[in-house]
Amino acid sequence: MKTTIINSRKLFTGTLSFLILAAILALFYAYREHTGVLHAPRFSVSARELPYYAFCSFYRMLAAYALALIFSIVYGLAAARGPAWERVMIPAIDIAQSVPVVGFFPAAVYFFVALAHGSRLGVEFAAIFLIFTSQAWNMALGVFESAKTIPADSIEVLQSFGINGWLKLKCLLLPACVPKLVYNSILSWVAGWYFLIACEIITVGPTHYRLPGLGSYLMEAADRGRSGEIVAGLLTLLAIIVAMDFLIWQPLSIWSEKFRYEFAASSPQTEAIAAIAALNRLGPSILRGARKVMLTISGPIRRFGERLPRVNLAAHPRFTLALRRVRTVVLLGLIGFMVYVVIVGVIALFRTLAQPWPAEARLIPAATGASIARLVVAYLISLAWIIPCTLAASSNPRLRQQLASVAEIVGSVPATALFPLIVMFVIKVTGGMNLASILLILTGMQWYLLFNLLAGVSQIPEDLKEAARSFGLSRVGTWRKLVLPAITPSLITGSITAWGGGWNALILSEYFVYQNHTYEVLGLGALLDSATYRTGNSVMILLSLLSMVAVVLVLNRLVWRKLYNVATERYRLDY
Amino acid sequence: MPLLDLRHLSKSYPQTNGILRVIEDISATVEEGEFIAIVGPSGCGKSTLLRIVNGIVPISSGQVLYKGRQVDGINLECAMVFQSFALMPWLTVEDNIELPLDAMGVPLAERRRRTGLYIDKVGLDGFEEAYPRELSGGMKQRVGLARALAVEPKLLLMDEPFSALDALTAISLREELLDIWRLPDSPVHTILLVTHIIEEAIELADRILVLSAGPGRVLADLQVDLPRPRDRRSEAFNMLVDKVFSLIEERS
Repeated sequence: MKTTIINSRKLFTGTLSFLILAAILALFYAYREHTGVLHAPRFSVSARELPYYAFCSFYRMLAAYALALIFSIVYGLAAARGPAWERVMIPAIDIAQSVPVVGFFPAAVYFFVALAHGSRLGVEFAAIFLIFTSQAWNMALGVFESAKTIPADSIEVLQSFGINGWLKLKCLLLPACVPKLVYNSILSWVAGWYFLIACEIITVGPTHYRLPGLGSYLMEAADRGRSGEIVAGLLTLLAIIVAMDFLIWQPLSIWSEKFRYEFAASSPQTEAIAAIAALNRLGPSILRGARKVMLTISGPIRRFGERLPRVNLAAHPRFTLALRRVRTVVLLGLIGFMVYVVIVGVIALFRTLAQPWPAEARLIPAATGASIARLVVAYLISLAWIIPCTLAASSNPRLRQQLASVAEIVGSVPATALFPLIVMFVIKVTGGMNLASILLILTGMQWYLLFNLLAGVSQIPEDLKEAARSFGLSRVGTWRKLVLPAITPSLITGSITAWGGGWNALILSEYFVYQNHTYEVLGLGALLDSATYRTGNSVMILLSLLSMVAVVLVLNRLVWRKLYNVATERYRLDY
Repeated sequence: MPLLDLRHLSKSYPQTNGILRVIEDISATVEEGEFIAIVGPSGCGKSTLLRIVNGIVPISSGQVLYKGRQVDGINLECAMVFQSFALMPWLTVEDNIELPLDAMGVPLAERRRRTGLYIDKVGLDGFEEAYPRELSGGMKQRVGLARALAVEPKLLLMDEPFSALDALTAISLREELLDIWRLPDSPVHTILLVTHIIEEAIELADRILVLSAGPGRVLADLQVDLPRPRDRRSEAFNMLVDKVFSLIEERS
């Protein structure tokens, strides 16, 4: 009896969130009618312009990341305030995370271009917004988790000394978030590059907008068949990524270790960071330099603050009252705004769906099936090479480390950057779009699986391996009895993220404009793209996007969530 | 007038199946200058009692009178020493000790003076710039003690301060605590210590409050009249240990 209650509640929240999502989506498209078409000149693909394109891409990433950072801290800390906040805010993140972001790019373009009265700024905003949505959720979850796992005594000590407000934020909440925030920032930048390139590719391919950047450069170069320029573009991208890793992320990772609570000292993450620290000799000196700069800046500010008379504002009842009122007004305003958006969105949704449905609407079920089949094939291909690699790595630590470092380098290159290259070759050689599309999906899927499985292997306790050896288990026996069960939870989490990446890749890979010729296959992504870029039928756009989101959510709830629960219950590594 | 007057304190938490009663009808007083130990089996609510005195945990019923008046919220004239040290891993020893002073709005020069003074008092000289993870358990608790002393509280609250340490470190830290407390220029005169180690209570305290297993009630309020420094092997000491043991045993 109890389970049915929970299930109906789950069904309710699921339906509700789907409705809200659909409403916001419809609102996006409601703006579409006001959009004028923007024509930009085709731009040059000379390698001399590369620094400019690289700069364009980089500042887009930086803007989106700054937004994501602020958002994640505010959102994560708010969600950790109490169970009531958590119950609403965390499922919302869950939904946002499982939506294929790329599908929203055309919608976002229409919305922001209308908002910016048809200027290029709108396309910029749309791209930044999209990159933001690919970066913010995992960072916000990281902040939430860190805030939730602060040991109770650390909170009590601040309470007992009457520490609150800004000082609490500065001394406890923010520092406690640093390790997860740095770790997730790295992941977010990888995801961000992927979507940045995707946005820029889309603007060159099917739409009339142009976003100068590395992605559009690569696509243009592929379109004109200039392989030299493609290689130069890829190298530039790789150089930026490697330089950022070396100059920013590695020193930051080492620095973030300072903010870790001790009981988590021997995590595999720490192990990896120790390896980095040994490799990157530059890291410590960069840290020292950054520290010196920070100190020279913050020193005078701090001394100035010391000289100010201390006023304890919290002690004034009037001030606290006013603060509380302001807070209530802001909160009510936010809630009111959300309600307004949802209502307007629902109206737009029903008005759009009330229009006559086009003939292609009948294709949706078959297209859904074809898309899922493509994803399954790509998934199976990934598993077919990754599982043997993982098993081999499990009995050979050196191989594991080599695999991990190779995967880290290759995986940090956004797969979308390779799309133009893959399309160019596969279509030229085989002429088959189906193979190309599966290959493209594969590039968006496989790394997540490999990363998660390698991490899973490294977490198998040494004593269990020794026990297996001392009982004379054969190699295959060890794989069957120890390694495979132990990596099952990682396999499931890897699969969830891989399928998330797969759905995004799907939208880019089923419909391609190459040298003024449109290549497409039957699939949800192709339906969405052709409706968006060719026919411009908003009913069809909405229908295909909604069915895609529905399929993703249903798969997540019915398949992955259940598998995850079983896996973490039965194959957990503690007893 | 006693420094602290606890009247018919009760504390319970609502649970999914009924309520969990942690403390029931505890009354006691603490005079200025006393060293009081609260002893009891695990789950008798002794740590909760300490948190109630500090104001971190609200009471369900009863009254906490401090200097004859009810305190609203946190009592900032208390300072707590935690069992698990509760140091911020990202702050140096010095910064950890300065943190509550900063919150209280103590001017910079005075903050520096007190930090230096209590670092010296607990024997942490040379470790000012160290991070907690670089210190041993005993050194960490010295930081916890210095942090509380630097507040110069009217009432020092200690929640099983030596339980997370190895036996030898605990012995020397107890002696150091007594040394600091007995000095004429000691910053604290009144100490409320919670422990489950009976010998520790008898060695340190003037008075012992013995609590029963949950829900906690006061079983006995014993005066400890042994001369200081106390000899753990003396007959009087051991008779007192036996007495407290049998008090707790009888009721559980």
